Amino acid sequence: MTDSKYFTTTKKGEIFELKSELNNDKKEKKKEAVKKVIASMTVGKDVSALFPDVVNCMQTDNLELKKLVYLYLMNYAKSQPDMAIMAVNTFVKELATSPMTKDCEDPNPLIRALAVRTMGCIRVDKITEYLCEPLRKCLKDEDPYVRKTAAVCVAKLYDINASMVEDQGFLDQLKDLLSDSNPMVVANAVAALSEINESSPNGQPLVEMNAQTINKLLTALNECTEWGQVFILDSLANYSPRDDREAQSICERITPRLAHANAAVVLSAVKVLMKLMEMLQSESDFVGTLTKKLAPPLVTLLSSEPEVQYVALRNINLIVQKRPDILKHEMKVFFVKYNDPIYVKLEKLDIMIRLASQANIAQVLSELKEYATEVDVDFVRKAVRAIGRCAIKVEPSAERCVSTLLDLIQTKVNYVVQEAIVVIKDIFRKYPNKYESIISTLCENLDTLDEPEARASMIWIIGEYAERIDNADELLESFLEGFHDENTQVQLQLLTAIVKLFLKRPTDTQELVQQVLSLATQDSDNPDLRDRGFIYWRLLSTDPAAAKEVVLAEKPLISEETDLLEPTLLDELICHISSLASVYHKPPTAFVEGRSAGLRKSLPARTSSGEESRQPQAQVIPAQDSLIGDLLSMDIGGPTLVTPAPAASAGLDLLSSGLDSILGGDLTTSQPAVSQTTTGLLGDIFGFTAGTTSYVAPKTNWLPAEKGKGFDVWGTFSRKNGQINMDLTFTNKAMQPMGGFAIQLNKNSFGLAPAAPLQVPAPLNPGQSIEVSIVLSTIGAVQRMEPLNNLQVAIKNNIDVFYFACLVPMNVYFSEDGQLDKRVFLSTWKDIPAQNEVQYTLTGIMLTTDQVVTKMQQNNVFTIAKRNVEGQDMLYQSLKLVNNVWVLIELKIQPGNPDILLSLKSRSVEVASGIFQAYNSILYS
Amino acid sequence: MSYFRSLIGSREMRILILGLDGAGKTTILYRLQVGEVVTTIPTIGFNVEQVTYKNLKFQVWDLGGQTSIRPYWRCYYSNTDAIIYVVDSADKDRIGISKDELLYMLREDELQNAILVVLANKQDMPGCLSVAEVHQALGLDALKNRTFQIFKTSAKRGEGLDQAMDWLSNALTAKK
Repeated sequence: MTDSKYFTTTKKGEIFELKSELNNDKKEKKKEAVKKVIASMTVGKDVSALFPDVVNCMQTDNLELKKLVYLYLMNYAKSQPDMAIMAVNTFVKELATSPMTKDCEDPNPLIRALAVRTMGCIRVDKITEYLCEPLRKCLKDEDPYVRKTAAVCVAKLYDINASMVEDQGFLDQLKDLLSDSNPMVVANAVAALSEINESSPNGQPLVEMNAQTINKLLTALNECTEWGQVFILDSLANYSPRDDREAQSICERITPRLAHANAAVVLSAVKVLMKLMEMLQSESDFVGTLTKKLAPPLVTLLSSEPEVQYVALRNINLIVQKRPDILKHEMKVFFVKYNDPIYVKLEKLDIMIRLASQANIAQVLSELKEYATEVDVDFVRKAVRAIGRCAIKVEPSAERCVSTLLDLIQTKVNYVVQEAIVVIKDIFRKYPNKYESIISTLCENLDTLDEPEARASMIWIIGEYAERIDNADELLESFLEGFHDENTQVQLQLLTAIVKLFLKRPTDTQELVQQVLSLATQDSDNPDLRDRGFIYWRLLSTDPAAAKEVVLAEKPLISEETDLLEPTLLDELICHISSLASVYHKPPTAFVEGRSAGLRKSLPARTSSGEESRQPQAQVIPAQDSLIGDLLSMDIGGPTLVTPAPAASAGLDLLSSGLDSILGGDLTTSQPAVSQTTTGLLGDIFGFTAGTTSYVAPKTNWLPAEKGKGFDVWGTFSRKNGQINMDLTFTNKAMQPMGGFAIQLNKNSFGLAPAAPLQVPAPLNPGQSIEVSIVLSTIGAVQRMEPLNNLQVAIKNNIDVFYFACLVPMNVYFSEDGQLDKRVFLSTWKDIPAQNEVQYTLTGIMLTTDQVVTKMQQNNVFTIAKRNVEGQDMLYQSLKLVNNVWVLIELKIQPGNPDILLSLKSRSVEVASGIFQAYNSILYS
Repeated sequence: MSYFRSLIGSREMRILILGLDGAGKTTILYRLQVGEVVTTIPTIGFNVEQVTYKNLKFQVWDLGGQTSIRPYWRCYYSNTDAIIYVVDSADKDRIGISKDELLYMLREDELQNAILVVLANKQDMPGCLSVAEVHQALGLDALKNRTFQIFKTSAKRGEGLDQAMDWLSNALTAKK
């Protein structure tokens, strides 16, 4: 007997039984059978094999049976996509006014709505086309419940087949529903439209709201359910009013929502108001009253259950960073209650510090001192840290804070002491030479420090004040014994501190410094430590005086707030108030899969003054990286540079700008195009400010992962050393490794072609990202593109070939030999006929003439001559494109006027718009 | 005897209406059910209706005839008492396909006992094939061991359907 017997069975099994019951003539039996099927489905048994039999029960008058069958369909249609087509006719019958059935469409609106909802949940691409007609009818149904359900169905359909929804005109129908007489329909149409706009591939909303629709929404707002109100408010938040009058009237109409009982409605209303207030004059009475009105609802949120409180607090944390005025008088509600859960406590503490001011500091300090004696370690630590932050933030209170900290150190509670030392280091940075008297107290606790951060802080203090501590050398030497067991942070600090000590007291510490340098350079595997060791070594051996100037250079004072969110991120998060993003304090792109290319929200610009946002940001040192960050910039900045290091550009740029300065250090500033090394993603996020390098546009998402089967490409173009580079970031968001990369460019206007094949090392594993750069030549096939700088790219990997188009910024085509002789310039200018002259106005440029010259020079635009005519600076500039097209430009700059008038002449005048764009980006960079 | 007859009469007969797309299946179904011509759209899926003809109750399934749906016909074969196969007599080009589909279907085990009625529909159209021509084109001569009959019909005008249903009712009653 063969083994085949194991595969033939005489048992019919459950599925077989269900199948015969489903085909039973008796309706009751049938219904029972479907119930059994659903029950099995619910507990996770696979009953998909019964699909045809269940679908056959679909045409029934029995509502209960119908609902059960629909439930089954929604669950299994996806696994039986071909067979799902058999269900279509039933929907069509139910929804269409088809005369096939006696009673035309089903007279019961609930059944029609049920059908249209189920239709939307059957996510099978093949059958969507058949569902368009019924859906179209439902959107015009006489019953609002059906219309509302149909509106939501459009959004679902959009997710399955976006182009079909657009082609079928459903978006317009949806837009029409915004004017529906029923507020529930309006709210759902709004929700559907927002959903669709959100998933728009190019980040541009597909359906723009105008003032009229907004007006209708505002009217519907007062009548619909609370969740409808949330949808409407959320979509109002995405609307940018034309002027401040419109903004003000929207504000007025939604302010009553602040008194709503539902926390979600309140927060959504707060979001809209926060956004619109950006557009209004901040000094106006209206903003003043609005600010006052915003406080009570936020305070009320804090009397709900802890979970809601936490969400409210996370949102308030954003709000007080953006507009501290709103809650400045409400300090007391953020005082910690003994029975608050720890997550609420920590969050409240954070907000307390943000709200601390001279007016309330006494109260805050006494609270914080209380907290520091509580039992929860995390909370106590944070409280101690908070005292230090108050000292830095509220200058007049510094002394009190320091004495409070000293009191706490006296308690000798280990973690309190360590935390106190970490913040005292910051206080020393803020108030140098003021509180050194306490150093001896700190030194007493040296032995108890076991956390790296505390040890590093203590070492920094010793090094910084080495001249006042008699036994500084002994203290540091004691740390040196276990050098290799220390954390990197401590090692780096120790190295720096000993070098400082040596520079201050060279006579008796020579041995010590040699010891630490050799430990750092010879016995360490850590490249950071080694490099820093070598830099010190070389400095000390070549020019001790210079070393002194560098290492003991005056440090910039740290600013009051150490952990503010980066301003653009804060603005983005303000737009996401009342969403998960505002709780995580991360943009949605950071945690929502497959939405990477979506639009990033930003606050509207104030209508009156656009340049405000471009003013330099206050210096902010990010909390985590502060130590390493400022040490690096301190060590490198100063005398080695021709120009002083830019006083730390925004946020996390400290490190990269430091590195750039090193690179730029021995090149003269006039030399163009020093390659950027460290930008990567940082550049995108923080809008990389190129120091002395040529302008490189931030990387943009050329191929989003959802279109590239998990292959995600960001890219930009740069010009380095006379070569055009395509800089790409590949990310593998698929489940399998990628490899076999190759790239091809379509014929294009400038003959761009890869000069070498794409080199991507090793397979790119799932979740991995890689930076790739390829040099491009301009000797490829030429074909005029529209627009001129359009480039079509194909990238291949082991999965597929992907095609996309991108725009090459014109400035990468500016060649290095674009300087014309004065006379040649003059004669050429005259030779080119007047119809080849194009004019353009650059607006909002806050640069001096010289800055313009330098910036353009760095990008191979050469200034031939400069004249001053009637208080206006006239600049004459030339540039040459790689295809030997010469472009001559005249700039009129009025000091103090942010507008610059450009006149461009060229024999190939079609390049003009690209060049203007390049000017714009270079001068704004 | 009449007792048994009534017992048989109470059981619903299961009838499938099959044929290529556009042959007139849905029109025939509703003609049988409500006695009127209704406007139809292509059936993507199926229709099922109760039809009572001369005291006999039928559960009539009208399945879509499009190429994409034909593979699913076989999900409906089990327990079928009779098949009404509808042919568009005016569609000379596709009569061959119709024949293939018919023969393919008749080979199914589950349909070995089903009675077959072929309707040469659309007899109102000018230039259409006659019943004999349809009979031949479908190769019905070769059909053995099967109770079957062919009728000429025009669902639009309501002609021929009664004869076909009379014959079918009798055949079904006789079979029991």
